[in-house]
Amino acid sequence: MTDVTMIVNGQTRSASVPPETTLLQLLRDNFNLTGAKLGCDVGDCGACTVIVDGMAVNSCLMLAGQVNGRSVTTIEGLATRDRLHPIQKAFEDNGALQCGYCGPGAIMASKALLDENSDPDVRDIRDALSGSLCRCTGYSKMIEAVQEAARVLRSEERNQITHART
Amino acid sequence: MDDKTKVLEREQLDIESLGVSDVDLRLPAVVPREPFPIEPLTIDARQQTRAVGQRATRPDGRLHGLGQTKYIDDLSFPGMLHARIKRAGIASARIKRIDTSAAEAMPGVMAVVTGKDIPVNSFGPSFQDQPVLVDELVFHAGDGVAAVAAVTEQIANEALDKIVVEYEPLPAVLDPVAAMREDSPKVHAPNSNIYATKVVRKGDVEKGFAESDHIFEGRYSTQMIEHVSLEPHAAIADWDATGRLTIWATIGRITLARADMSRTLKLPMSRIRIIGTIVGGNFGGKNEITQEPALALLSKKTGRPVKGVFTRGEEFTSTTTRHPIIMDYKTGVTKEGRILARQIRLVLDGGAYCSWSETTLGKACILSPGPYKIDNVVAEAFVVYTNKTMTGAMRGFGAPQVCFAYESQMDEIAKALGKDPLEIRLLNAFDEGSSSPTGQVLHSVVVKETLNKAADRFGWQEPRS
Repeated sequence: MTDVTMIVNGQTRSASVPPETTLLQLLRDNFNLTGAKLGCDVGDCGACTVIVDGMAVNSCLMLAGQVNGRSVTTIEGLATRDRLHPIQKAFEDNGALQCGYCGPGAIMASKALLDENSDPDVRDIRDALSGSLCRCTGYSKMIEAVQEAARVLRSEERNQITHART
Repeated sequence: MDDKTKVLEREQLDIESLGVSDVDLRLPAVVPREPFPIEPLTIDARQQTRAVGQRATRPDGRLHGLGQTKYIDDLSFPGMLHARIKRAGIASARIKRIDTSAAEAMPGVMAVVTGKDIPVNSFGPSFQDQPVLVDELVFHAGDGVAAVAAVTEQIANEALDKIVVEYEPLPAVLDPVAAMREDSPKVHAPNSNIYATKVVRKGDVEKGFAESDHIFEGRYSTQMIEHVSLEPHAAIADWDATGRLTIWATIGRITLARADMSRTLKLPMSRIRIIGTIVGGNFGGKNEITQEPALALLSKKTGRPVKGVFTRGEEFTSTTTRHPIIMDYKTGVTKEGRILARQIRLVLDGGAYCSWSETTLGKACILSPGPYKIDNVVAEAFVVYTNKTMTGAMRGFGAPQVCFAYESQMDEIAKALGKDPLEIRLLNAFDEGSSSPTGQVLHSVVVKETLNKAADRFGWQEPRS
């Protein structure tokens, strides 16, 4: 067994798991965070995407042990009690979630992009979403959603800066 | 309330009539959804309901985005076991021996079932030709031969390797056209490999061809396509102590599934409860039972709930796919490009089992002449067994395949006659009141308007370089 300790959505979590446990299994089975989905188990579909230290990763391809001491953000870590994360709201408003199975992965991939680049062009968004497969064909709506979320996040940031100055 | 749809008003009234507000009904996690501003309807060519042109969101979208939707794989129950299925890996064979003793002796393995354990080992929506787990003969490489329930998925996987199956290989039928020959090996002997046919006739094609200035002949074919819904086929079976069976399954047709479960398990339908959860993509691929009877028997043997989730590989080899069709088209046209006669022969590769092939065959055959006024038509369609993954329902039920064929031929005809591809379609397309090859008089026909509007929108008439 391997002991792992990591920060998951801001909280320190620990578990003792067999060494072959993937990060996805750890999150789903040990931490009950079932938002990340298993779609292919070989890193093709992106349904299991989570953010590890700011990078979007396929959690099915990462071992739990590799994440020891690092920080993980999952879909469960986005919304607060007061509000949805702007990306979640934009995905919902733009109809980018149909069956919803790819949704959490695509939202996390978008989050990793927007954390890095607050004003991405369509090519950047396509690039960021290229690892997330959707079979209900929601890509164009997802791209619109990411653009909308980027606008909202930028204006929120501006407001915060103005607020801080006054 | 002027700016809200009637539907929204009604929903609001329903909630108000209970004396509670929508906000009170929700968990505090997130803000309630705001209704979208309703833009005034533009009066279009066709009057539709007020809902057309307005923005709407899915009622389940909120949970999808939060990652809180519970698909099968997100559910678990106390004591739940994990099932895996051993696949044949050989297209056609006789099973000489199955030895599961080494697998059953493994620590953590709770039960193993084989085809012999299934009370009635056949199911299917039109022909009951599909076994849950094969017992005597293997019909395609993705067939299941045994199912294992273990405390972890990993142990179940290891147990699959310990199951010994001895096969006597049999000749496999892989080409649907060759499968139609009398001397071809039979997939389901002694029955013919052609398991359903359909013929549509209208007018006299020979006369039509004789009157035609040009005859065009072509063969078109499409490949097998898997739905690849992002959520794999998954189910949980719980056979409880009172002999009642509950199945949580990713199945679109739960009533049909209940009938199939009742048949295969010899269990009265009143004892079966099927809970259709939110499905992570169906597209026609989740219309039937797959592993559920095997899971139910594993649950009965162990007294514990059993979950089974297909791997992505199994999705490709062991679930239904879209029919590959070999389509022969012979079309007689006048100098101007008007179609006088069309003869069509479709051979659908049905794979190892019927599944929804009959439905697909019918729709493909009826739609195969295309949306064109043709007085003389013969369309004949055959669906044949081959030792391949079974084909079944998929979006369109055969319509996309034939559309590829007749539209490809329309382009060839236009090119050969030196006509504009749009013009030749407008010349032949259905009008209001046209009758289809099966004699149905058609209403609300807007093929020409649609083509013209589309051509306008993307600048078809502009000079092309």
